[in-house]
This record gives sequence, C-alpha cells and structure tokens, in this order.
Amino acid sequence: MTVFDLLIEYIREGRIHLDTSRFKDRRATYHDPCNYGRQAQRRFGHGFFEEPRWILSQCMDHWQDLYPARMNQICCGGGGGTLNTGYNEERIFYARRKFDQIKTSGADMLVVPCHSCHGQFNAVKKDYGMENLEIKYLWELVADCLVVG
Amino acid sequence: MVLEYSPMETQSIIALNTLEHGRCRPWPFLQDFCLTCGICAGACPASGVDGFDPRKLVRMISLGMEDETVSERWPWICTMCGKCANLCPMEIDIPGLVRKIRSRRRREEVPGILHKGLEAALETGNNLRLPKDDYVFILEEIAAEPGFEGFTVPIDKTGARILTTIHNKLVNTHTEDLKHWWKIFHAAGEDWTVPSENWEGTNWGYFTGDDAAIRKFWKNSVL
Ligand code: SF4
Ligand code: SF4
Repeated sequence: MTVFDLLIEYIREGRIHLDTSRFKDRRATYHDPCNYGRQAQRRFGHGFFEEPRWILSQCMDHWQDLYPARMNQICCGGGGGTLNTGYNEERIFYARRKFDQIKTSGADMLVVPCHSCHGQFNAVKKDYGMENLEIKYLWELVADCLVVG
Repeated sequence: MVLEYSPMETQSIIALNTLEHGRCRPWPFLQDFCLTCGICAGACPASGVDGFDPRKLVRMISLGMEDETVSERWPWICTMCGKCANLCPMEIDIPGLVRKIRSRRRREEVPGILHKGLEAALETGNNLRLPKDDYVFILEEIAAEPGFEGFTVPIDKTGARILTTIHNKLVNTHTEDLKHWWKIFHAAGEDWTVPSENWEGTNWGYFTGDDAAIRKFWKNSVL
C-alpha cells in the first residue's frame, strides 16, 4: 500500500474531511517525482499520476498542472542520490528547466509527494529567484486542509 | 575549428579498437543496440556537465570500457530520472546501466555521504547513528507541543495496522514535518505505529547500486 492509496482510502471512506477553501487564494501546481511516476510506470507498469492529482483536487478546487507532466515530466534534479554526493553546483544546474516550467505556470505553491524533490526545490529555489515559492508535501496539504472536530 | 574533448572522450577514442560484443549477460541493458541518435542526450538534465551525456556512457559500455566509467564522475552526476530511457527508441535501460556502473565503485570511494549513511543504517538502524533514547526523546518532545493534546506517538505498538518508517531528516533538521502525518492519522483514527529501532525510511543502497545492503537493510527493518 502506498501513501497515495492510504490518503485516498481516508478521503473516500470519510475518515477525514477536507476544507477546499483553505488555500482558495493560492495558485498551486504539482510536480511528478520521477520515481513515483515515470520510473514506476517503466519498472512496475503503474505510474502514480492520477492518484496524487485526485488527492490535490480534494484539497483545492483550482490548481494548475505543469506542462509537460506525467511521463514527459521534467526532473527536479535532486534524485539518484545527488542530494548527498556533494555535487551541489551540478544539482542547481539540473533544475533550470524545471524552474522555467514552474515560473511559466505562475504558481506560488508547489505540491510534491517526495522527500528528495522537496529537499531539492527548497535548496535551489533561491538560485532561480523564487524564494517565495512554497514547497508543500502532498500530505502536508492534506493535513492543512483537515476539518477537525 | 578545434574540437575539445574531455579526458573521458579522449580515452573512448583511443579504445575504439576494444569493441567487444556478447556481454548482454553481465550488462543486460541493451546498450549494444544504441542507434547513437542522441535523443537521450537531448532529454537529460545532466547533459553538458563535465562533457557528460547518456549516449556517450551507453557507447562506452558497448565498447567494453566499463572499467573506465567506474572511476569517473559521470555515473554519479546522473539523477536516475529515466527521461532518457523513456524516450530511447531502442528501450535501452540507461538508469539501470548507471546503477550497475555505480555498484562497481569501491565502497569507500562512493561520493559524498551516501555510503557512510548506508553503513550507519546497517550498523545502527538509521543513517544518522542517532541513539534510541535520543530518537524517542525527539518524537515525544514534538508530540508534547501545543496542538497535540491527547496525542501520543505509538512507538513499538504490537498488532498495529500500519507500520511507518521515518526519513532521517524529520528527526534531525525538519522535525516540523513529522506533524503532518500525525495529524492525518489522528483525524482518521488510524491504528499505526513507528519502531524505536531500525526506523530509517531512506535506503541509499538504491543510489549506490548496493543490492546486498538493500536486502540486509529491509531484513533489519521488517524483523
Ligand atoms: S536514445 Fe537510445 S538509441 Fe538513441 S543515443 Fe540514446 S541510448 Fe542510443
Ligand atoms: S536517468 Fe540519468 S542519464 Fe538518463 S536522463 Fe536522467 S539524469 Fe540523464
């Protein structure tokens, strides 16, 4: 069972309730991590593309996809251990196309379901003049939208 | 026009006469079917660093130059994103090839903290060598913060429906990020637990190509 299935289960079964107005003034977009999407599709025959998007839509009425996305998504540059090899300048360079893409979308919030992507985006967003871009875990978004009580 | 070659390229030119086929068993990534079309090179976020691009690496393995690739930086600057393999018309498994080259590197020469973290995880159950008492203390401290009244972290609960692991940065520099899942589990009334030992959720053997370490790691976690 993946974190996606678990969140979907909670939402579908009504075990958690989400307030879609919480971030209604924000412009959010979603990044497909290489390993949950493209690589999972290649290696195991199922890429997790629709699941996170469905969860996002339960948290907000409007959000915008990046282009290209899914199988042709652009890598954030933080994968394959590159966050921990010490090759940091290279890692900043890898992210250039990703940041072009994010800037074009006009988003001020980027939702990701991956620790490596999250770390990479926060580490390099300043290098691309986007220090105000909020990087949010998918489950953080869900936790923020929880209706409690 | 003067062409500039990186040292690796010069070597590959010199070694052209070592062309060797029939290595599909030890190197089962279809590298010998490369059309040299360069699609992979165009797709790769790391192309251009040190003169690297995936097409060159594929050609080197195909030419029997695996020893040369092992000592170089090239295999380590790849992010294993799979863009190359997704687009390659010959379905060559370039990330798989990269990982195999990485596995050939002497472990003490693996760059950065990747192998050191993995060794720590195998010896102590986490990448940070964080002692059990300190770890439990951190979890309980965070759970005692305002907003978590009536919540305790169910450490080592037997028979729970869900066993979770933790990314080491969440008990190190990013403790705030522990809270999201705690809130969700609490709201959903989930029956879950987190172990007091072998709680590490990242396994750097995936990056260093160390399959034996991966097996040992999961054996520790699951048993
Ligand atoms: S895309 Fe495939 S066939 Fe084309 S150069 Fe790269 S590895 Fe060779
Ligand atoms: S998997 Fe490696 S070689 Fe292939 S496109 Fe990604 S970074 Fe480049």
